[in-house]
Amino acid sequence: MDRTLGIPKSEFLDSVRRSLGRNPVPPDPAYPRLLDDMSSLQEEAQRIRARLAETRSTLLDKFAEVAQVRGWNVHRTSNPESAMAHIQSLADSLEVKNAVRSDQEVFGQVLVDAPLEARGINMTTVLHGPDKSRESLRSSIIAADIGLTGADYAVAETGSVIVLPRKGLSRLVSLVPPVHLAIVRPEDLIESLDDLFVLRRLAYQENGGDMGSYLNFITGPSRTADIEQTLVVGVHGPKEVHLVLLG
Amino acid sequence: MADIKTRDFSKSSAVSILDPQLRKALAQVGTGFDAARRAAIDEVTPELWDEWREEARQIKIHALEHLDYYLDLLEQNVAKAGGHVHFAKDAAQANDIMGELVRTRNIKVATKSKSMVSEELSLNPALEAQGVDVYETDLGEYIIQLAEETPFHLVAPALHKTKEQVAQLFTDKLGIPYNEDINGLAAAARTALREKFLEADLGISGANFLVAETGTLVIITNEGNGRLSTSAPRIHVGITGMEKVIPSMQDLAVFLRLLPRSATGQGITSYVSMVTGPRRADDEDGPEEFHLIIVDNGRSKMLADPDLREALYCIRCAACLNICPVYQKVGGHAYGWVYPGPIGAIVTPSLIGLKEAQDLPQASSLCGACREVCPVKINIPRMLLHLRQKSAESPDPSERSAGLVPNLLAGGYARLMQSPGLLRTSHKLGRWKQNIWAAMPLFPFTKRNGMIRKASLPLLSRWTRSRDLPELPKSAFRDIWKNELSKDKDVK
Repeated sequence: MDRTLGIPKSEFLDSVRRSLGRNPVPPDPAYPRLLDDMSSLQEEAQRIRARLAETRSTLLDKFAEVAQVRGWNVHRTSNPESAMAHIQSLADSLEVKNAVRSDQEVFGQVLVDAPLEARGINMTTVLHGPDKSRESLRSSIIAADIGLTGADYAVAETGSVIVLPRKGLSRLVSLVPPVHLAIVRPEDLIESLDDLFVLRRLAYQENGGDMGSYLNFITGPSRTADIEQTLVVGVHGPKEVHLVLLG
Repeated sequence: MADIKTRDFSKSSAVSILDPQLRKALAQVGTGFDAARRAAIDEVTPELWDEWREEARQIKIHALEHLDYYLDLLEQNVAKAGGHVHFAKDAAQANDIMGELVRTRNIKVATKSKSMVSEELSLNPALEAQGVDVYETDLGEYIIQLAEETPFHLVAPALHKTKEQVAQLFTDKLGIPYNEDINGLAAAARTALREKFLEADLGISGANFLVAETGTLVIITNEGNGRLSTSAPRIHVGITGMEKVIPSMQDLAVFLRLLPRSATGQGITSYVSMVTGPRRADDEDGPEEFHLIIVDNGRSKMLADPDLREALYCIRCAACLNICPVYQKVGGHAYGWVYPGPIGAIVTPSLIGLKEAQDLPQASSLCGACREVCPVKINIPRMLLHLRQKSAESPDPSERSAGLVPNLLAGGYARLMQSPGLLRTSHKLGRWKQNIWAAMPLFPFTKRNGMIRKASLPLLSRWTRSRDLPELPKSAFRDIWKNELSKDKDVK
């Protein structure tokens, strides 16, 4: 455990209080959003899930539309076989030699390994385990022409794919290869940012106050307009991003 | 802290205003960023937009009123997630903390994603003094780091550079063949920096928001450098101002709606990265250590001043720069420090002192556009006036912006405008002089289309250096009224 550097917290907070001209008191009235306990969040989450179940088909359309506008290449498909066919033809057209994928549930549904390997593609899966060296995993990701992942959520409001840390999911799979492909299932879909944060707050409380180390929004390709305000796609992250939307 | 050149505002703005290349770059600010912002607001509807602005403002008001409480909560939750929070009262202390971290962990290479606070602290020179190679990774920041300059704009730091200049810079500094294709330049930066990301022991980031409830640092980026800096190296240090804290994770939604639309007109940026502590045991990768340095550096003074506290609500979207008629003419470097534009004209004197920066609050026409576009409804013109008043009434002559002569002139002008008789006489005198001068061989004005383009008289010559002055009309309105209009029956 590190000692705290700089000035002690108490001293810093005292200086803030002097600026505010008061003693240490909690906000009065208390901030409503911080009063939610687990049961009120559970109720709210239930309402959200009921609404999502009812509006799923409209939401799928909306998500597909917004995601397209934000720079995703959206491919909608009704079954895993046609999703697989799409991924294969994409791999052909991109002339993929090396691919890397996470170890997420969705790959139990869309079985990519055998068909891609049959095309001579070198497939690496991020597998959780102590034997897997971090360095060799890293070099496979760096060598990959495409990274494949699932999604923890897909937000219709923003066209974003949300990824959370989990066993078998490297942070770099969706970031380092020049092409990222995400597979989204209908059950991943949520309507808005508000839905997302209610569900994550509930998960936080259910996990005993652990948020997990990250929550990443991915919305379209990496981009910049830092030179002459001219849009360039693909700076440090992927230049090309694909969404395969099941359902 | 970063070099302070705020005293040169008058001189530097006189130079930049005549620079044809800057004119071109700055003209694009209105047609590019600001037009995109307006289109994005039209899309969500201005009514809903105003609701969001009010919601965001209320969150900021509450968070700052209870800043001690939320900083405490934030620290507890970062610690619970396995991270460390360090508090710094000023720039020197913040740099010392970073110095201690890099020394004790034997860090040689660091990559940094965009952070205005680190510019404010001059963190890079401090790290270099410790023998650390630090690389800016945002494309704009990378360009100005190579050029050894300061950011020209809050969102687009290298806005003032042409592609030809960037191409030459990359040839000189990276030793690559000259290529002015913008895609090619971005690719060259990607290649050069990719290597550094993988080599770096330390990733430094700023923070757009800090969520007290969960101990989460939020960064909003488009390039992916923020994600790489916070994912690849073994240590991640976030460094930011104490005003960035918001209470709940649910408060984030409205800010994610406001910030990208206000900055670039995007509905959302390519990436929003929310980081809570270091990697956990089950994670496949990510930093082993997470540190957060929270910096005061003058902010508590702003918090204490009810007239200036509002400036701490700023989310650094730069919408006020993009709309400002002064920023659009003088550009970012004239402001002389890290924070340019209307918000910079408040933040800079507040952080470094009015003595150093008393010219900045004067650099505004008070047109109010900045207030109208601000996503958290900061009343910038009110604070500019407040700082002007403070400067005019300061007992310390070094804080006063105007010398004796301008003060006397302002007093005389006030007197003149309060007396109709004096005003009429002065106008008559002026018109008479204008006619006399017109007949003289050494005419002291250069005129075109009824405008005086250049006057060679004291004071007036300064006014006409960068703008035209209208001639006095042949007759005053009061005379037109008396002689003609008041006799018109319809008017009565």
